[in-house]
Amino acid sequence: MERKAVYRHSVATRATHWLFFLAFLALVSSGLQIFNAAPYLDASDKSDPAHRVLSIEAPRDGVGTVTMFGRTFVTTGWLGWTDDGMGGKAPRAFPGWITIPSYQDLADGRRWHLFFAWIMIVSGIAYIIWGFARGDLQQLVLRREDLPKLWPMQLYYLRLRKEPPPHGKYNPLQKLAYTLVIFVFAPLIVISGLALSPGFDAWVPWLTQAFGGRQFARLWHFVLMLALIGFFVAHLVLVATTGVINHLRSMVTGWYKLGPHEA
Amino acid sequence: MKRKLFIATSLSAALSACSAIGNKLNDSPTFHKVLNSAEDVNEVFIGTRGRVREYTERDISANFPLDSLDTPSDSTYTQLIRDHFASYRLTVDGLVEHPQHLSLSQLQHLMNVTQITRHDCVEGWSAIAKWQGVRLADVLALARPRPNARYVVFYSFDRDSNDTQYYESLSLEQAAHPQTLLALRQNGKPITPDRGAPVRLRIPTQLGYKSAKWVYRLQMVASLKDLYGGKGGYWEDQGYEWYAGV
Repeated sequence: MERKAVYRHSVATRATHWLFFLAFLALVSSGLQIFNAAPYLDASDKSDPAHRVLSIEAPRDGVGTVTMFGRTFVTTGWLGWTDDGMGGKAPRAFPGWITIPSYQDLADGRRWHLFFAWIMIVSGIAYIIWGFARGDLQQLVLRREDLPKLWPMQLYYLRLRKEPPPHGKYNPLQKLAYTLVIFVFAPLIVISGLALSPGFDAWVPWLTQAFGGRQFARLWHFVLMLALIGFFVAHLVLVATTGVINHLRSMVTGWYKLGPHEA
Repeated sequence: MKRKLFIATSLSAALSACSAIGNKLNDSPTFHKVLNSAEDVNEVFIGTRGRVREYTERDISANFPLDSLDTPSDSTYTQLIRDHFASYRLTVDGLVEHPQHLSLSQLQHLMNVTQITRHDCVEGWSAIAKWQGVRLADVLALARPRPNARYVVFYSFDRDSNDTQYYESLSLEQAAHPQTLLALRQNGKPITPDRGAPVRLRIPTQLGYKSAKWVYRLQMVASLKDLYGGKGGYWEDQGYEWYAGV
Protein backbone atom coordinates (compact mmCIF):
# COMPACT_ATOMS: atom_id res chain seq x y z
CA MET A 1 0.00 0.00 0.00
CA GLU A 2 1.36 3.43 -0.93
CA ARG A 3 1.77 5.50 2.24
CA LYS A 4 0.48 9.04 2.22
CA ALA A 5 3.19 11.74 2.19
CA VAL A 6 2.78 15.04 4.01
CA TYR A 7 4.80 18.23 3.79
CA ARG A 8 6.09 18.33 7.34
CA HIS A 9 8.99 20.81 7.64
CA SER A 10 9.19 24.23 6.00
CA VAL A 11 12.36 25.42 4.29
CA ALA A 12 13.05 27.71 7.25
CA THR A 13 12.72 24.87 9.77
CA ARG A 14 14.99 22.61 7.74
CA ALA A 15 17.65 25.28 7.16
CA THR A 16 17.76 26.40 10.80
CA HIS A 17 17.70 22.76 12.02
CA TRP A 18 20.82 21.85 10.02
CA LEU A 19 22.58 25.12 10.80
CA PHE A 20 21.92 24.54 14.49
CA PHE A 21 23.24 20.98 14.17
CA LEU A 22 26.41 22.17 12.43
CA ALA A 23 26.95 24.87 15.06
CA PHE A 24 26.35 22.32 17.82
CA LEU A 25 29.04 19.97 16.49
CA ALA A 26 31.54 22.82 16.09
CA LEU A 27 30.72 24.23 19.53
CA VAL A 28 31.10 20.93 21.38
CA SER A 29 34.43 20.07 19.74
CA SER A 30 35.90 23.58 20.04
CA GLY A 31 34.49 23.83 23.58
CA LEU A 32 36.35 20.69 24.63
CA GLN A 33 39.48 22.19 23.03
CA ILE A 34 39.00 25.27 25.27
CA PHE A 35 38.30 23.09 28.33
CA ASN A 36 41.64 21.33 27.75
CA ALA A 37 43.50 24.57 28.57
CA ALA A 38 42.22 24.39 32.19
CA PRO A 39 40.82 20.87 32.59
CA TYR A 40 38.92 21.32 35.85
CA LEU A 41 35.62 22.80 37.04
CA ASP A 42 35.02 24.62 40.33
CA ALA A 43 31.70 25.43 42.00
CA SER A 44 32.86 28.95 42.95
CA ASP A 45 33.58 32.41 41.53
CA LYS A 46 37.40 32.31 41.50
CA SER A 47 39.33 29.09 40.86
CA ASP A 48 39.50 27.17 44.11
CA PRO A 49 40.63 23.55 44.54
CA ALA A 50 38.47 23.36 47.69
CA HIS A 51 35.37 23.66 45.47
CA ARG A 52 36.62 21.41 42.68
CA VAL A 53 33.87 19.24 41.20
CA LEU A 54 35.75 17.72 38.28
CA SER A 55 39.34 17.51 37.15
CA ILE A 56 40.89 15.52 34.34
CA GLU A 57 44.59 14.91 34.78
CA ALA A 58 47.63 12.88 33.82
CA PRO A 59 49.23 12.21 37.22
CA ARG A 60 52.21 10.72 35.36
CA ASP A 61 53.14 9.83 31.79
CA GLY A 62 50.95 7.06 30.43
CA VAL A 63 48.15 7.44 33.01
CA GLY A 64 44.98 9.49 32.70
CA THR A 65 42.49 10.05 35.53
CA VAL A 66 39.15 11.73 36.13
CA THR A 67 38.42 13.01 39.63
CA MET A 68 34.74 13.71 40.27
CA PHE A 69 33.48 14.87 43.68
CA GLY A 70 36.75 13.64 45.23
CA ARG A 71 36.63 10.15 43.70
CA THR A 72 39.30 9.24 41.17
CA PHE A 73 38.83 6.91 38.20
CA VAL A 74 41.53 5.71 35.82
CA THR A 75 40.62 6.71 32.25
CA THR A 76 43.91 6.23 30.37
CA GLY A 77 43.42 6.58 26.61
CA TRP A 78 39.98 8.16 26.95
CA LEU A 79 40.51 11.14 29.25
CA GLY A 80 43.60 12.72 30.81
CA TRP A 81 46.25 10.77 28.89
CA THR A 82 44.95 10.77 25.33
CA ASP A 83 45.67 11.15 21.65
CA ASP A 84 47.35 14.52 21.02
CA GLY A 85 45.72 14.99 17.60
CA MET A 86 49.06 14.58 15.84
CA GLY A 87 49.43 10.81 16.01
CA GLY A 88 51.01 10.62 19.48
CA LYS A 89 49.87 10.45 23.10
CA ALA A 90 50.06 13.31 25.58
CA PRO A 91 48.73 14.61 28.89
CA ARG A 92 45.51 16.05 27.44
CA ALA A 93 42.04 16.03 29.03
CA PHE A 94 39.86 15.36 25.96
CA PRO A 95 41.36 13.39 23.07
CA GLY A 96 42.30 14.92 19.72
CA TRP A 97 39.67 13.01 17.75
CA ILE A 98 36.90 14.95 19.50
CA THR A 99 38.40 18.49 19.48
CA ILE A 100 38.73 21.21 16.83
CA PRO A 101 41.49 21.55 15.82
CA SER A 102 42.58 18.03 16.76
CA TYR A 103 45.94 19.24 18.20
CA GLN A 104 46.13 21.59 21.21
CA ASP A 105 45.43 25.18 20.05
CA LEU A 106 43.46 27.39 22.41
CA ALA A 107 43.52 30.47 20.14
CA ASP A 108 41.98 28.62 17.17
CA GLY A 109 39.54 26.71 19.39
CA ARG A 110 38.26 30.05 20.69
CA ARG A 111 37.91 31.45 17.15
CA TRP A 112 35.70 28.47 16.17
CA HIS A 113 33.72 28.63 19.40
CA LEU A 114 32.97 32.35 19.32
CA PHE A 115 31.98 32.24 15.62
CA PHE A 116 29.69 29.21 15.85
CA ALA A 117 28.14 30.59 19.03
CA TRP A 118 26.67 33.34 16.84
CA ILE A 119 25.50 30.79 14.24
CA MET A 120 23.72 28.91 17.04
CA ILE A 121 22.15 32.10 18.42
CA VAL A 122 20.98 33.35 15.03
CA SER A 123 19.65 29.99 13.80
CA GLY A 124 17.99 29.33 17.16
CA ILE A 125 16.19 32.67 17.21
CA ALA A 126 15.21 32.33 13.53
CA TYR A 127 13.87 28.82 14.20
CA ILE A 128 11.72 30.04 17.08
CA ILE A 129 10.35 33.08 15.22
CA TRP A 130 9.56 31.12 12.03
CA GLY A 131 8.19 28.20 14.00
CA PHE A 132 5.72 30.36 15.90
CA ALA A 133 4.82 32.44 12.84
CA ARG A 134 4.00 29.32 10.81
CA GLY A 135 2.34 27.61 13.75
CA ASP A 136 4.71 24.58 13.74
CA LEU A 137 6.17 25.34 17.12
CA GLN A 138 2.79 25.51 18.85
CA GLN A 139 2.46 21.74 18.26
CA LEU A 140 5.87 21.14 19.84
CA VAL A 141 5.45 23.17 23.02
CA LEU A 142 4.40 21.36 26.19
CA ARG A 143 1.02 22.60 27.44
CA ARG A 144 -0.88 22.25 30.66
CA GLU A 145 -3.18 19.56 29.18
CA ASP A 146 -0.09 17.46 28.33
CA LEU A 147 1.04 17.18 31.95
CA PRO A 148 -1.33 14.35 33.03
CA LYS A 149 -0.27 12.38 29.92
CA LEU A 150 3.46 12.42 30.70
CA TRP A 151 3.39 9.44 33.06
CA PRO A 152 1.10 7.24 30.91
CA MET A 153 3.43 7.97 27.97
CA GLN A 154 6.42 6.91 30.07
CA LEU A 155 4.56 3.69 31.01
CA TYR A 156 3.92 3.05 27.32
CA TYR A 157 7.65 3.44 26.55
CA LEU A 158 8.43 1.03 29.41
CA ARG A 159 5.93 -1.42 27.85
CA LEU A 160 3.75 -1.29 30.95
CA ARG A 161 0.86 0.15 28.96
CA LYS A 162 -0.55 -1.09 25.67
CA GLU A 163 -1.55 2.17 23.99
CA PRO A 164 0.04 5.61 24.18
CA PRO A 165 -2.28 8.33 25.56
CA PRO A 166 -4.04 10.18 22.70
CA HIS A 167 -1.89 13.04 21.42
CA GLY A 168 -1.22 15.24 18.38
CA LYS A 169 1.76 15.16 16.03
CA TYR A 170 4.19 14.89 18.96
CA ASN A 171 3.70 12.85 22.10
CA PRO A 172 3.85 14.50 25.54
CA LEU A 173 7.37 13.26 26.36
CA GLN A 174 8.66 14.49 23.01
CA LYS A 175 7.08 17.84 23.74
CA LEU A 176 8.72 17.94 27.17
CA ALA A 177 12.14 17.19 25.67
CA TYR A 178 11.81 19.73 22.84
CA THR A 179 10.43 22.41 25.17
CA LEU A 180 13.32 21.92 27.61
CA VAL A 181 15.92 22.01 24.84
CA ILE A 182 14.49 24.94 22.86
CA PHE A 183 13.40 27.18 25.72
CA VAL A 184 15.61 26.21 28.66
CA PHE A 185 18.87 24.40 27.83
CA ALA A 186 19.83 26.20 24.59
CA PRO A 187 19.17 29.73 25.94
CA LEU A 188 20.91 28.88 29.23
CA ILE A 189 24.03 27.53 27.53
CA VAL A 190 24.34 30.78 25.56
CA ILE A 191 23.75 32.92 28.64
CA SER A 192 26.19 30.93 30.81
CA GLY A 193 28.79 31.30 28.07
CA LEU A 194 28.30 35.06 28.04
CA ALA A 195 28.58 35.06 31.84
CA LEU A 196 32.17 33.71 31.44
CA SER A 197 33.25 36.81 29.53
CA PRO A 198 34.87 39.61 31.56
CA GLY A 199 33.42 42.23 29.17
CA PHE A 200 29.90 40.89 29.53
CA ASP A 201 30.38 40.51 33.29
CA ALA A 202 31.29 44.23 33.50
CA TRP A 203 28.15 45.09 31.54
CA VAL A 204 25.69 42.76 33.35
CA PRO A 205 27.44 41.80 36.64
CA TRP A 206 24.35 40.26 38.26
CA LEU A 207 24.20 37.59 35.58
CA THR A 208 27.57 36.01 36.40
CA GLN A 209 26.65 36.21 40.08
CA ALA A 210 23.32 34.49 39.36
CA PHE A 211 25.27 31.46 38.11
CA GLY A 212 27.36 31.50 41.32
CA GLY A 213 30.37 33.32 39.83
CA ARG A 214 32.61 32.86 36.80
CA GLN A 215 33.96 29.39 37.56
CA PHE A 216 30.48 28.19 38.54
CA ALA A 217 29.15 29.56 35.23
CA ARG A 218 31.86 27.48 33.52
CA LEU A 219 30.54 24.42 35.39
CA TRP A 220 26.95 25.23 34.31
CA HIS A 221 28.11 25.71 30.73
CA PHE A 222 29.70 22.23 30.82
CA VAL A 223 26.70 20.52 32.46
CA LEU A 224 24.32 22.13 29.95
CA MET A 225 26.54 20.78 27.16
CA LEU A 226 26.15 17.29 28.65
CA ALA A 227 22.35 17.80 28.78
CA LEU A 228 22.27 18.86 25.11
CA ILE A 229 24.48 15.90 24.13
CA GLY A 230 22.03 13.67 26.04
CA PHE A 231 19.14 15.09 24.04
CA PHE A 232 21.12 14.73 20.81
CA VAL A 233 21.84 11.04 21.49
CA ALA A 234 18.19 10.33 22.38
CA HIS A 235 17.12 12.22 19.25
CA LEU A 236 19.47 10.09 17.10
CA VAL A 237 18.23 6.85 18.69
CA LEU A 238 14.58 7.80 18.11
CA VAL A 239 15.25 8.86 14.53
CA ALA A 240 17.21 5.66 13.90
CA THR A 241 14.54 3.37 15.35
CA THR A 242 11.48 4.98 13.74
CA GLY A 243 12.60 5.14 10.11
CA VAL A 244 15.94 6.83 9.45
CA ILE A 245 15.33 7.37 5.74
CA ASN A 246 11.84 8.79 6.22
CA HIS A 247 13.01 11.20 8.94
CA LEU A 248 16.09 12.27 7.01
CA ARG A 249 14.00 12.83 3.89
CA SER A 250 11.53 14.97 5.78
CA MET A 251 14.34 17.09 7.27
CA VAL A 252 15.98 17.48 3.83
CA THR A 253 13.08 17.74 1.37
CA GLY A 254 10.29 18.47 3.82
CA TRP A 255 8.19 15.39 2.81
CA TYR A 256 7.35 12.75 5.42
CA LYS A 257 5.56 9.46 4.69
CA LEU A 258 2.88 8.70 7.25
CA GLY A 259 2.85 5.35 9.04
CA PRO A 260 -0.27 3.16 9.31
CA HIS A 261 -1.23 4.72 12.68
CA GLU A 262 -0.28 8.30 11.87
CA ALA A 263 -2.58 11.00 10.66
CA MET B 1 21.51 -5.91 14.48
CA LYS B 2 22.37 -4.73 10.96
CA ARG B 3 20.80 -1.38 11.73
CA LYS B 4 22.83 -0.96 14.94
CA LEU B 5 26.02 -1.81 13.05
CA PHE B 6 25.07 0.70 10.36
CA ILE B 7 24.51 3.42 12.95
CA ALA B 8 27.76 2.69 14.84
CA THR B 9 29.83 2.58 11.64
CA SER B 10 28.33 5.76 10.24
CA LEU B 11 28.78 7.58 13.58
CA SER B 12 32.48 6.69 13.88
CA ALA B 13 33.02 7.45 10.18
CA ALA B 14 31.27 10.79 10.65
CA LEU B 15 33.43 11.61 13.69
CA SER B 16 36.75 10.94 11.99
CA ALA B 17 35.54 12.80 8.89
CA CYS B 18 34.59 15.77 11.12
CA SER B 19 38.05 15.75 12.68
CA ALA B 20 39.76 15.76 9.29
CA ILE B 21 37.41 18.42 7.86
CA GLY B 22 37.92 20.54 11.00
CA ASN B 23 41.71 20.49 10.63
CA LYS B 24 41.52 21.20 6.88
CA LEU B 25 39.22 24.19 7.45
CA ASN B 26 41.40 25.37 10.33
CA ASP B 27 44.37 25.53 7.93
CA SER B 28 42.50 27.73 5.46
CA PRO B 29 43.20 31.49 5.75
CA THR B 30 39.88 32.28 4.03
CA PHE B 31 37.95 30.21 6.54
CA HIS B 32 39.83 31.91 9.37
CA LYS B 33 38.72 35.29 8.03
CA VAL B 34 35.14 34.09 8.34
CA LEU B 35 35.72 32.79 11.89
CA ASN B 36 37.51 35.99 12.91
CA SER B 37 34.53 38.13 11.90
CA ALA B 38 32.98 37.13 15.24
CA GLU B 39 35.56 39.31 17.03
CA ASP B 40 34.16 42.50 15.42
CA VAL B 41 30.61 41.43 16.25
CA ASN B 42 31.60 40.84 19.87
CA GLU B 43 33.39 44.18 20.09
CA VAL B 44 30.28 45.99 18.85
CA PHE B 45 27.83 43.89 20.86
CA ILE B 46 29.71 43.66 24.18
CA GLY B 47 32.47 46.27 23.94
CA THR B 48 33.66 48.05 27.08
CA ARG B 49 30.62 49.03 29.15
CA GLY B 50 29.77 49.15 32.82
CA ARG B 51 32.14 48.32 35.63
CA VAL B 52 33.39 44.98 36.89
CA ARG B 53 32.43 43.85 40.34
CA GLU B 54 34.75 44.88 43.18
CA TYR B 55 35.30 42.35 45.95
CA THR B 56 36.29 42.47 49.62
CA GLU B 57 39.59 41.49 51.29
CA ARG B 58 37.99 38.17 52.27
CA ASP B 59 37.63 37.17 48.60
CA ILE B 60 41.34 37.54 47.72
CA SER B 61 42.83 34.32 46.28
CA ALA B 62 45.30 32.61 48.61
CA ASN B 63 47.45 31.57 45.64
CA PHE B 64 47.34 33.84 42.62
CA PRO B 65 48.70 31.67 39.78
CA LEU B 66 51.93 32.67 38.10
CA ASP B 67 51.35 32.26 34.41
CA SER B 68 53.80 30.74 32.00
CA LEU B 69 55.85 33.91 31.41
CA ASP B 70 59.26 34.00 33.09
CA THR B 71 60.81 37.04 34.72
CA PRO B 72 62.68 38.98 31.99
CA SER B 73 66.32 38.00 31.96
CA ASP B 74 67.86 40.77 29.83
CA SER B 75 70.55 42.99 31.34
CA THR B 76 68.46 46.21 31.43
CA TYR B 77 65.85 44.54 33.56
CA THR B 78 68.22 42.67 35.89
CA GLN B 79 70.09 45.98 36.41
CA LEU B 80 66.75 47.61 37.37
CA ILE B 81 66.04 44.88 39.92
CA ARG B 82 69.49 45.47 41.39
CA ASP B 83 68.92 49.22 41.87
CA HIS B 84 65.36 48.65 43.13
CA PHE B 85 63.95 50.41 40.06
CA ALA B 86 65.55 53.75 41.03
CA SER B 87 66.52 54.34 37.37
CA TYR B 88 63.20 53.06 36.02
CA ARG B 89 61.32 55.53 33.81
CA LEU B 90 57.90 55.03 32.25
CA THR B 91 58.04 56.70 28.85
CA VAL B 92 54.82 58.06 27.35
CA ASP B 93 55.43 59.14 23.77
CA GLY B 94 54.29 58.82 20.17
CA LEU B 95 51.39 61.03 19.05
CA VAL B 96 51.39 63.24 22.18
CA GLU B 97 51.93 66.95 22.91
CA HIS B 98 54.02 66.41 26.06
CA PRO B 99 56.07 63.21 26.15
CA GLN B 100 56.62 61.97 29.71
CA HIS B 101 59.36 60.10 31.53
CA LEU B 102 57.88 59.18 34.87
CA SER B 103 59.96 57.75 37.70
CA LEU B 104 58.56 55.18 40.07
CA SER B 105 58.21 57.77 42.85
CA GLN B 106 56.33 60.11 40.51
CA LEU B 107 53.96 57.24 39.69
CA GLN B 108 53.58 56.46 43.40
CA HIS B 109 52.55 60.09 43.96
CA LEU B 110 49.94 59.77 41.23
CA MET B 111 48.56 56.52 42.72
CA ASN B 112 44.82 57.07 43.09
CA VAL B 113 43.01 53.73 42.76
CA THR B 114 42.63 50.66 44.96
CA GLN B 115 40.56 47.83 43.54
CA ILE B 116 39.91 44.21 44.49
CA THR B 117 38.95 42.61 41.20
CA ARG B 118 38.93 39.26 39.48
CA HIS B 119 41.54 38.38 36.88
CA ASP B 120 40.04 36.12 34.19
CA CYS B 121 42.56 34.06 32.26
CA VAL B 122 41.92 33.02 28.64
CA GLU B 123 42.68 29.44 29.74
CA GLY B 124 39.59 29.49 31.93
CA TRP B 125 40.80 30.05 35.50
CA SER B 126 40.12 33.13 37.65
CA ALA B 127 41.88 34.68 40.66
CA ILE B 128 41.09 37.68 42.84
CA ALA B 129 43.69 40.19 44.10
CA LYS B 130 43.93 43.72 45.44
CA TRP B 131 45.56 46.12 43.01
CA GLN B 132 46.76 49.65 43.67
CA GLY B 133 47.96 52.02 41.00
CA VAL B 134 47.32 54.94 38.71
CA ARG B 135 44.32 55.14 36.43
CA LEU B 136 45.72 54.64 32.92
CA ALA B 137 43.58 57.51 31.61
CA ASP B 138 45.29 59.92 34.06
CA VAL B 139 48.79 59.02 32.85
CA LEU B 140 47.71 59.39 29.22
CA ALA B 141 46.12 62.77 30.00
CA LEU B 142 49.48 64.05 31.35
CA ALA B 143 50.99 63.47 27.91
CA ARG B 144 48.02 65.01 26.05
CA PRO B 145 47.30 62.69 23.11
CA ARG B 146 47.10 64.37 19.71
CA PRO B 147 43.77 64.20 17.86
CA ASN B 148 45.08 61.56 15.43
CA ALA B 149 46.10 59.17 18.26
CA ARG B 150 43.77 56.15 18.28
CA TYR B 151 45.60 53.43 20.18
CA VAL B 152 47.99 53.16 23.08
CA VAL B 153 50.70 50.49 22.75
CA PHE B 154 52.33 48.97 25.86
CA TYR B 155 55.91 47.74 25.64
CA SER B 156 57.21 45.16 28.09
CA PHE B 157 60.75 44.31 29.19
CA ASP B 158 59.80 40.72 28.39
CA ARG B 159 60.85 38.80 25.30
CA ASP B 160 59.99 35.22 24.40
CA SER B 161 62.48 32.44 23.63
CA ASN B 162 62.65 33.65 19.99
CA ASP B 163 63.55 37.15 21.24
CA THR B 164 60.17 38.49 20.12
CA GLN B 165 59.10 41.66 21.93
CA TYR B 166 56.12 41.30 24.25
CA TYR B 167 53.64 44.15 23.63
CA GLU B 168 49.92 44.88 23.89
CA SER B 169 47.51 47.65 22.92
CA LEU B 170 44.13 49.21 23.68
CA SER B 171 41.99 51.71 21.82
CA LEU B 172 41.79 55.08 23.56
CA GLU B 173 38.11 54.37 24.40
CA GLN B 174 39.10 51.12 26.14
CA ALA B 175 42.05 52.85 27.84
CA ALA B 176 39.63 55.44 29.28
CA HIS B 177 37.79 52.80 31.34
CA PRO B 178 38.00 53.95 35.00
CA GLN B 179 38.99 50.49 36.29
CA THR B 180 41.93 50.14 33.89
CA LEU B 181 45.14 50.75 35.86
CA LEU B 182 48.87 50.89 35.72
CA ALA B 183 49.25 48.77 38.83
CA LEU B 184 52.20 49.26 41.20
CA ARG B 185 51.06 47.13 44.12
CA GLN B 186 49.45 43.70 44.43
CA ASN B 187 47.83 42.61 47.71
CA GLY B 188 49.33 45.59 49.57
CA LYS B 189 52.96 45.04 48.49
CA PRO B 190 54.99 46.37 45.56
CA ILE B 191 54.56 44.02 42.59
CA THR B 192 57.41 41.51 42.59
CA PRO B 193 59.72 40.95 39.57
CA ASP B 194 58.07 37.59 38.75
CA ARG B 195 54.64 39.28 38.61
CA GLY B 196 55.49 42.28 36.47
CA ALA B 197 57.49 44.77 38.61
CA PRO B 198 57.56 47.66 38.82
CA VAL B 199 54.50 48.46 36.65
CA ARG B 200 51.97 46.17 35.05
CA LEU B 201 48.64 46.76 33.41
CA ARG B 202 45.35 45.76 34.98
CA ILE B 203 42.44 45.59 32.51
CA PRO B 204 39.66 43.83 34.42
CA THR B 205 37.14 44.19 31.54
CA GLN B 206 39.23 41.93 29.28
CA LEU B 207 41.01 38.59 29.52
CA GLY B 208 44.31 38.41 31.40
CA TYR B 209 46.64 38.29 28.40
CA LYS B 210 45.86 41.95 27.64
CA SER B 211 47.23 43.01 31.04
CA ALA B 212 50.90 43.30 30.07
CA LYS B 213 53.58 42.98 32.75
CA TRP B 214 56.94 44.79 33.12
CA VAL B 215 55.66 47.84 31.20
CA TYR B 216 58.26 50.54 30.39
CA ARG B 217 56.71 52.48 27.52
CA LEU B 218 53.28 53.71 26.42
CA GLN B 219 53.21 54.83 22.80
CA MET B 220 50.27 56.58 21.15
CA VAL B 221 49.76 55.55 17.55
CA ALA B 222 47.23 56.05 14.76
CA SER B 223 47.36 52.43 13.58
CA LEU B 224 48.58 49.05 14.84
CA LYS B 225 49.38 47.68 11.36
CA ASP B 226 53.08 48.55 11.31
CA LEU B 227 54.00 47.08 14.70
CA TYR B 228 55.53 43.58 14.77
CA GLY B 229 52.90 41.10 13.50
CA GLY B 230 50.40 43.92 12.91
CA LYS B 231 47.65 42.51 15.12
CA GLY B 232 48.21 44.84 18.07
CA GLY B 233 49.83 42.50 20.58
CA TYR B 234 52.15 39.58 21.22
CA TRP B 235 49.25 37.15 21.83
CA GLU B 236 47.18 38.68 19.03
CA ASP B 237 50.06 37.96 16.63
CA GLN B 238 49.72 34.29 17.73
CA GLY B 239 46.01 34.21 16.82
CA TYR B 240 44.25 35.41 19.98
CA GLU B 241 41.62 38.15 19.74
CA TRP B 242 42.61 41.80 20.03
CA TYR B 243 39.21 42.48 21.60
CA ALA B 244 39.50 40.15 24.60
CA GLY B 245 36.24 41.03 26.37
CA VAL B 246 34.87 37.54 25.57
